[in-house]
Amino acid sequence: MIRLSGRFRSALIIGLQGIRARKTRTLLSMISLFLGVLAVVVVQTGASIAERARLADVELTEGIDGTTVLELNPTPEAAKIVVDTLDGSTGATALVSVAATIGEPGVTAVNPGGSPFDEDWGAPQDCTPDGVCTARPAGQAIDLQISAMTSDVREFRPFRHRSGEWLDFTTIPALAPRLVLNEEAARGFAEHRVPAELHIPGATSNITPQFIGVVDDGNTSPTAYARLDELNNWLSAEGVVDPNGGNGVQVMLAPGNPVAQVLTAKLRGIGVDTYARTINSRKDMQDELKLFRLIFLAMAALVLLIGVAGILNVGLATVGERVEEFALRRAVGTPRSLLAGIVLAETLLTGLLTAAAAIGLSAAGLKALSALFGDQQPFLRDVQFPWEAGVAGIIAGLIAGILGGFVPALRAAGIPIATVMRA
Amino acid sequence: MSPLIELTGVSKILKGQQEPRTILDGVDLEVNAGRSIAIVGRSGSGKSTLLSVLGLFDRADEGTYRLDGQDITRLPERRAAKLRSSHFGFVFQRFFLLKHLTAAQNVSMALVNGQGWLPRRNRRAQVMAALDQVGIAHLARNKPPRMSGGEQQRVAIARALVRNPKILLADEPTGALDTETGTSVIDSLLAATGRGCGLVLVTHDRDHAARMDRTLDLVDGVLTERVPA
Repeated sequence: MIRLSGRFRSALIIGLQGIRARKTRTLLSMISLFLGVLAVVVVQTGASIAERARLADVELTEGIDGTTVLELNPTPEAAKIVVDTLDGSTGATALVSVAATIGEPGVTAVNPGGSPFDEDWGAPQDCTPDGVCTARPAGQAIDLQISAMTSDVREFRPFRHRSGEWLDFTTIPALAPRLVLNEEAARGFAEHRVPAELHIPGATSNITPQFIGVVDDGNTSPTAYARLDELNNWLSAEGVVDPNGGNGVQVMLAPGNPVAQVLTAKLRGIGVDTYARTINSRKDMQDELKLFRLIFLAMAALVLLIGVAGILNVGLATVGERVEEFALRRAVGTPRSLLAGIVLAETLLTGLLTAAAAIGLSAAGLKALSALFGDQQPFLRDVQFPWEAGVAGIIAGLIAGILGGFVPALRAAGIPIATVMRA
Repeated sequence: MSPLIELTGVSKILKGQQEPRTILDGVDLEVNAGRSIAIVGRSGSGKSTLLSVLGLFDRADEGTYRLDGQDITRLPERRAAKLRSSHFGFVFQRFFLLKHLTAAQNVSMALVNGQGWLPRRNRRAQVMAALDQVGIAHLARNKPPRMSGGEQQRVAIARALVRNPKILLADEPTGALDTETGTSVIDSLLAATGRGCGLVLVTHDRDHAARMDRTLDLVDGVLTERVPA
């Protein structure tokens, strides 16, 4: 148990007595300080929520913080080594991206090249070896990227579930590959009727896919997620890699996973260079938002200063009224430092009470916003009051208490003891 | 037995905007345990200044001040505060009770002064004992506005007694009270001398002064013993 010094306890007891004796003044001080502390709490809350919302979006596309990402050139040999090395290992998954079309073969898709459905990237053309190119006829097909995985990628990219179900990696690979669409792909298939025929360059035949669910993956281009082993029923591991393009092969590994070293060594052995990076989105986000946060905090600090002026004013007036009390306290042996401590204790307690009120109001306001607008604004859905904002509020309250109480405390400490004799 | 307080040649000079004025002029004074002294004199004769010097509110410009045999003439404020707490009890003409506190809390003020820490139970016991000494333990929960002048002054005396001081300094404690109440207040102060406490009473009242062991006249800063008629 923390034993507080007698002087500290005395300051607290007398400070509390002072607050109880002057409730209206304390309330006025709190009101003058409230907006400033509230501004600090709101700015900090907004910044934290914005950071988390941005971070959550970035995690969908980039991966969670600490994830090691290995990028490599998409050669068939490299793909085979990756698949073989990761087979059965935990904390690692490989994503192989292939371009695919679902619908009529040999036509221009409604979203040529797998572009978002609201954008037009131009129709693809078929070119002969002597350089004569002709555009494909328009047809009922949708181009998309298929990300084939060796294991569940959500360990690294926490996709938001929208409907249906996610891929089950524990079952025997299905002959009809199960696909989980992202929201953009799902929108395309909802708006356009296309034949259920999956065309992948290099596949032994066209396949009938199964759509089993929809997720939000943060990607604006139509994408589908599949088990790599289910695609391998129709094309080999080497075959899924398009050496002429595509997104290549990406390996995601948990922090400190030793597979990274093994894989890098094996790939170097066949002359394939890898590019490794570690996801550090939080720091990037913080750097990105730092300037905005500082600007808003500076504005909040200005409002807080006005509050400090208020508490200072009330504090000076109160000390002026309590000259006899402080002189008497000195007469009974109270040291000057404790008199200053009493005044500071009162302003600090006032600051803390104000901070508690501001934090309470902010938390309640956030809850109300979440309840009212959570359906329309995803970042407000199930949002929690950030503890950082609470800490910032308490610190703001304490700083305001110290700044507002400092001068009155000095005044109180300087009251001449002979005041009681001359009264 | 050495005196509790021994002032030798103490002078206090007021250095204002005009010419310096001597308030105390070579005062010699001894205060002994269990003895009472009355200091009488006209307004402006330096009675309160003498009490300020005795109570360590102020310092003498010349002379020496010995407390319990120790020379404390040049004492830093921190040590002075400690000695005020451990050795002195003060009673003033105005009671200086805090209106928002109960009688018990007002008395407790002298215990919650940053000079050591007493657990609440011990504090309460000491406060009740002090209130009992002045006969108003039953008013412990009352606040000053609901008490008479005499009762308020008794609370002030209890506040002065609560730390069992060695010396009680009283500055016109009956000045705001009627004769009967004033007499009972002096009774309470004298009762403290019966417990070994030294008492210095500044008063205008000849009757109260006559009840003390010694009466000293302060005239223009010079302290002289009054010879009984």
